[in-house]
Amino acid sequence: MIEQFHYATTPKYNFPQSLEDLQLPQRFIELSLGSIKKINGQIFRPDTITSYELTKESSKDAAVTFPLTDSLTMQPIPLKPLSEDITVVALDVSSIRIGETKTGVLCAVRGAIVSREKSRYRCLRLGPFPFHITEENRREICTMLRKHYFKVTGEINAYSLDNIHNRICNMLERWLQMGVSCSSYRSIILWDGSLTAGSMDSPVNVVSKLLEVARNRLNAVLAFSKITRLRLSGCRLTDLVWKCPPPSLLQINGFTAHNSGKLCFLGKIYVARLTEGSCSFRLDVDREIPCEQGVDAVQKLLGNDLLIQSYPESLRLAHIFSTFTANEVIGIQRLIAQKCGLKIVSRPNMRRLLFGPFGKGSEG
Amino acid sequence: MRLYRKEGNTVQILALPNESVEKGEYLLIEDPATRRSLISQVIDIQFANVPGILEELLRNSTTNDLIHEESFDPLGVASHVTYIQDSRLLICKIRGTIEDKKLSIGSSWLPSRSQSAIKKLPTTSLLALARVGNSLPIQLGETKELSPLSIEARALDGKLSIVTGKKETGKSHLSKLLVLGLIDFGAMVVVLDLNGEYTRLGFSSNGEKNEHFSKVHVLTPGDNLKITLTQLKLRVMLNILIHALHLPGTSAREFRRIWCFLQEQGTLNLQELGEAIRNWRCNQHVRDALFSRYYSLLNSGFFTDNPVEATDLEENFCRIRNGGALIINLHDTSLVDRQIAVEYVLGKLVELLTQWKIKAVFLFAEEAHLYLRETYWDDIVTRMRHFGVFTTFVTNQPNTIRENIYRQADNIFLFNFTNEHDLETVSRAAKVDAETVKSVARDLPPRHCLVLGRAVSDFPVVVRVRALDIQTMGQTRLFFTNTS
Repeated sequence: MIEQFHYATTPKYNFPQSLEDLQLPQRFIELSLGSIKKINGQIFRPDTITSYELTKESSKDAAVTFPLTDSLTMQPIPLKPLSEDITVVALDVSSIRIGETKTGVLCAVRGAIVSREKSRYRCLRLGPFPFHITEENRREICTMLRKHYFKVTGEINAYSLDNIHNRICNMLERWLQMGVSCSSYRSIILWDGSLTAGSMDSPVNVVSKLLEVARNRLNAVLAFSKITRLRLSGCRLTDLVWKCPPPSLLQINGFTAHNSGKLCFLGKIYVARLTEGSCSFRLDVDREIPCEQGVDAVQKLLGNDLLIQSYPESLRLAHIFSTFTANEVIGIQRLIAQKCGLKIVSRPNMRRLLFGPFGKGSEG
Repeated sequence: MRLYRKEGNTVQILALPNESVEKGEYLLIEDPATRRSLISQVIDIQFANVPGILEELLRNSTTNDLIHEESFDPLGVASHVTYIQDSRLLICKIRGTIEDKKLSIGSSWLPSRSQSAIKKLPTTSLLALARVGNSLPIQLGETKELSPLSIEARALDGKLSIVTGKKETGKSHLSKLLVLGLIDFGAMVVVLDLNGEYTRLGFSSNGEKNEHFSKVHVLTPGDNLKITLTQLKLRVMLNILIHALHLPGTSAREFRRIWCFLQEQGTLNLQELGEAIRNWRCNQHVRDALFSRYYSLLNSGFFTDNPVEATDLEENFCRIRNGGALIINLHDTSLVDRQIAVEYVLGKLVELLTQWKIKAVFLFAEEAHLYLRETYWDDIVTRMRHFGVFTTFVTNQPNTIRENIYRQADNIFLFNFTNEHDLETVSRAAKVDAETVKSVARDLPPRHCLVLGRAVSDFPVVVRVRALDIQTMGQTRLFFTNTS
């Protein structure tokens, strides 16, 4: 018999009230619990966690290369930190595969929101939320999540079990973005990634809605991409060099909101070099905000947050607090095995089995 | 607890935080398939090398005054993570095997990693299996499980023992306990007491005479331990002159002639010896050398011409024939006087043993390097043992005892040492592996002792030495006394 959990939503977090029916994490927890409740007594094969798997990161962008035409121009913008007191809120999420059962996969997601106000950081970690995704419940889970949080109805494409955790993670991220947009006022909101919409994970209407809610409460959304796949004439955007010393932005003009494909750039695209050093990032600023206001937001960020290697500290902390360590993965594996009475059976590494010391790389 | 790995005679066991195990404790690894159990002793406790621990600690270290962290963790994963972080790796040494309820030393088999059950093995159960402390028990104190621990007096009989540890850890206390334990069973004990710590063994802490009073006899050189020259053998006197007073060989030969002359004349006393040296026909340098030694003997106060004042050591040994201790109080005596007294006592002891006037003697020597001449060390551990002198060396400077003595030691009572050099020296003992000595002894609290060797059937055991109701004399005199 599985022990029954009784949860209430955290009282420490100001959950958004403006969106009807938005009761996460309660709903999220229910889904999480509901999924793992059904795995009682199964055989559980925990994944071997390697540091490679925990640190690998991919760009959330789609790969797009723009030809350098007359319509695309680049303009350096020098920046000056503005010391006007403003709250900076950053959020990040992460997911990880925990293992697999006879009927599906076990994964976990977690989010972190970090806010900086009056030189102090506050961090709220949400999760981890473990999920047991099977062929039977994967469609149900995703549809429910989308319906509840973004009012997007209709059947969605079936996600593969292999990367379902990324989808759930993405939904948590969107929910957190919505929550932060609703609860913040006159703040700078930092997202990890870009403002490019149109993919399965980022429907245009969902991202537009998020930006709109943020804008209506006089917030500015800035999205930092560590790795971008946008290229100008074959040159990666973040590899562009300009003469203006840091802190400065390189504005790329000429991107239209709607690309020829499905993708839609909902932000103005900049390359940001905010401190001395070799690091630069792609920075997307809400397209609907006037240009000067967007640059002002970056200058306020400079005046209100620590920037190390051109990257805001609050976003760095959000990443750190959301990331799963191998230790936590073992902890979650243990918790699930204990609570659900799973029998742990190690999965043999076929590569190792077949090729011995030559069987390198992760088990796929 | 789960068996993790084995390398040589070391096994590593994974223990979770709720499984409390301490260094020195014994574990039983039971293999149900083979019906055998492996006895292992925990010699070190480490944190298990959990993947991702560095990242976890680094992340937690970022939460300080500047960062306030709140967590919404409905499933309580954090507690599981903490649990895993605190898991331990027990480094254990294999000590033996139990098969069909019989104990054997060492192991030539490997228990199942997946099927073995691991549980604590109480020291008392282990020692009961090893049949330790069954007859003539000397209660040392209590084990980690708070059960009494006794060793057999026989474990010291005919054996060489060493009590060592750094200052103020309880070495002398343990040796007093051993002395009293031995005399309770009728043993004859001689203590070479450097600091006068044993002189009040016959008194309780409240100053009243205790049950050992009549068995403890204190002899102080120059006070109630004086001898006439006639009580002394020429061989012993020459040993004193050569080894304690460094008399050159030529002069020693002249002294021998003088001694024989006086013996023949029947006038062997201090006064006549002085006169003889003065009038002896010999080289002036030899005479000067003899005179300087003569005055050293005279000034020691150890020699007398008055037979009434003289002590008959043989008679003193007779007094303790049915159990007792002769305490040779070397406190407040100079190095030379100390050496003279020890040369005499040991010489006399060997003489009595060779003549079978006494059966055997347990000799306790505190900081022996301060009075024992070089050649005596080997003599004590080899030749004198055959005569029936069973020595226990007590020292806080383990490097003052030679390596070969450690190798031949049958029992070692090891107290805390923190100095690597000291641990290295003691670890040369043949009775146990160096890792056990270094790891366990380093963390022994005061009054706790690691017993190694025959006394515990070669199963190293940590014991908390029990208190004794005797007047302590070994306490350091302090300037700043506690006035509150």
